Amino acid sequence: MKMLFKGSEAIAEAAIRAGCRLYFGYPITPQSELTEYMSRRLPEVDGTFLQAESEVATVNMMYGASCTGKRVMTSTSSPGFSLMMEGVSYMAGAELPAVFVNVVRGGPGLGDIQPAQSDYFQATKGGGHGDYRMIVLAPHTIQESVDLMNLAFDLADKYRMLVTILADGMLGQMMEPVEFPEMRDPNGVPKKDWALTGASDHEPRKVTSFNIDPYGLEEMNLRYQATYKKVVENEIRYEEVNTKDADIIIAAYGTMARIVKTTIHLAEKEGIKVGLFRPITLWPFPYKQINKLADTVENVLTVEMSYGQMLEDVKLGVNGKAKTPFYGRSGGVVPTPTEVLEAVKKVMVGDLNG
Amino acid sequence: MNFLNFKTRLFVYIGMFGSGKTELAINTAIDLRKQVSRVALVDIDVISPYFRSRDERKFLKTKGIEVIAPPGVLSHADLPIITAQMSGYISNPDYFTVADVGGNEDGATVLGSIKPFLDSTSKSVFFVINTLRPFSTTLEEIVKNIQKISKSGKIKINYLVCNTNIGSETNGDNIRKGEEIVRKVSEYLEIPVAFTVVKDGIEYSGKFPVFKLKRYLSNLW
Repeated sequence: MKMLFKGSEAIAEAAIRAGCRLYFGYPITPQSELTEYMSRRLPEVDGTFLQAESEVATVNMMYGASCTGKRVMTSTSSPGFSLMMEGVSYMAGAELPAVFVNVVRGGPGLGDIQPAQSDYFQATKGGGHGDYRMIVLAPHTIQESVDLMNLAFDLADKYRMLVTILADGMLGQMMEPVEFPEMRDPNGVPKKDWALTGASDHEPRKVTSFNIDPYGLEEMNLRYQATYKKVVENEIRYEEVNTKDADIIIAAYGTMARIVKTTIHLAEKEGIKVGLFRPITLWPFPYKQINKLADTVENVLTVEMSYGQMLEDVKLGVNGKAKTPFYGRSGGVVPTPTEVLEAVKKVMVGDLNG
Repeated sequence: MNFLNFKTRLFVYIGMFGSGKTELAINTAIDLRKQVSRVALVDIDVISPYFRSRDERKFLKTKGIEVIAPPGVLSHADLPIITAQMSGYISNPDYFTVADVGGNEDGATVLGSIKPFLDSTSKSVFFVINTLRPFSTTLEEIVKNIQKISKSGKIKINYLVCNTNIGSETNGDNIRKGEEIVRKVSEYLEIPVAFTVVKDGIEYSGKFPVFKLKRYLSNLW
């Protein structure tokens, strides 16, 4: 049965259905509804909701809870995610699976509470210190947010990695009809042979990101790199819309991609065939796939609610095969479909170059 | 829907978070304005950060409706700001006023703070129910919500409103099932149902009077 959910509430319910019973968090607009939903819903399913005193405390609670092998998650928005970065790096180093949800708002700094995509670098290129990677999933509808939640937990467990759902204020706040998958048994998730569950029946285990011996630490790093390579080989996800015989390709993710889908229709009425390339995994980024598309067009226009962050990955992917112009707004301003169409027209006549 | 039939000057919409109060408040104000010349929409939502009545201020002004909300840049803040003007509009007998209150018991708390003004005027309080929203799907849940919100707002609820919908995909069957639950709530609490909200474009007639709703808080796409 379909119900009407806010994006942030839907993500929370989907996490519970995916077998998550441990949520730690600290409220921040525009995702506090997620925290609030968890506070009400988790006790109903014998889970634990814990409001931490800060995001720093939150991420360290995640670290501890994840060591037990249970599915754990938190949600936050931009400034809160920044505060978590130290712990994120520690968790990545300790190969702890967990799911983070960042409902991005305008930045930098305190910024504002309106939707933005300006945490792309932070999510995909680090944010914390050290040679680590996080899998970054970018839904563009509320139903997709729900569907990706199951995947997020599965990928986190499978690779012992952190997974971030990178949403934005619009996806967090808007309402849409959604359908949820069946509730998964939280005890039915795969047993973890590394988890700290008491050492009465096996050798004591250790979960840490620390190794004072440089060769030992290098070995750990090589292990991380081997994992990341597997993820790149197996987990790239993306969507193409209308790309065959397109006059121009737009690269966009999340809310921006959804706006571009409307632009496609507007452009069609004016005889312009716009195609959309929508990365679903922002890391690993679908470089090869966009490279292939670049053979078919003169321009790959990147559109963001930020100033040229994903553009850098698009350029790496396109690798000079097509021009890579850019259009973006920031600070919580959301470009309209018409605005994007105007940018398309400018590109077509050579007024917007890249 | 002829809102003058409620024989009241102040229409207060309360309910759970995301139950559709804002859209309903805007529609009510627009409807009222067709019959009377002075209509104000008071945005006292201290819960929602987006999709608020104040976001439609310019549009509503073109319809001859005054939107009372925090001034200037403060209107973008996620702070519980209540403008002093608001109490004036509520108690001014020359105005028909619609109050858009924030969701859940936290949103309704605001009403307690302006109780003297509310008590000085003839008002109707509507509790909006969407049975396809989380925590509002059963008689038990809804009754509990009503009791909690009524208590924290220190306000008596005069009418229930059935606003069962899932947005653009709503069908008659959804509404029929919603009406069935709302009818049970109505019988249990002995609060009458004022009307059922039906989005423009859906043909529906059921147990209660129908209020045709137009969607104003549109998405960008």
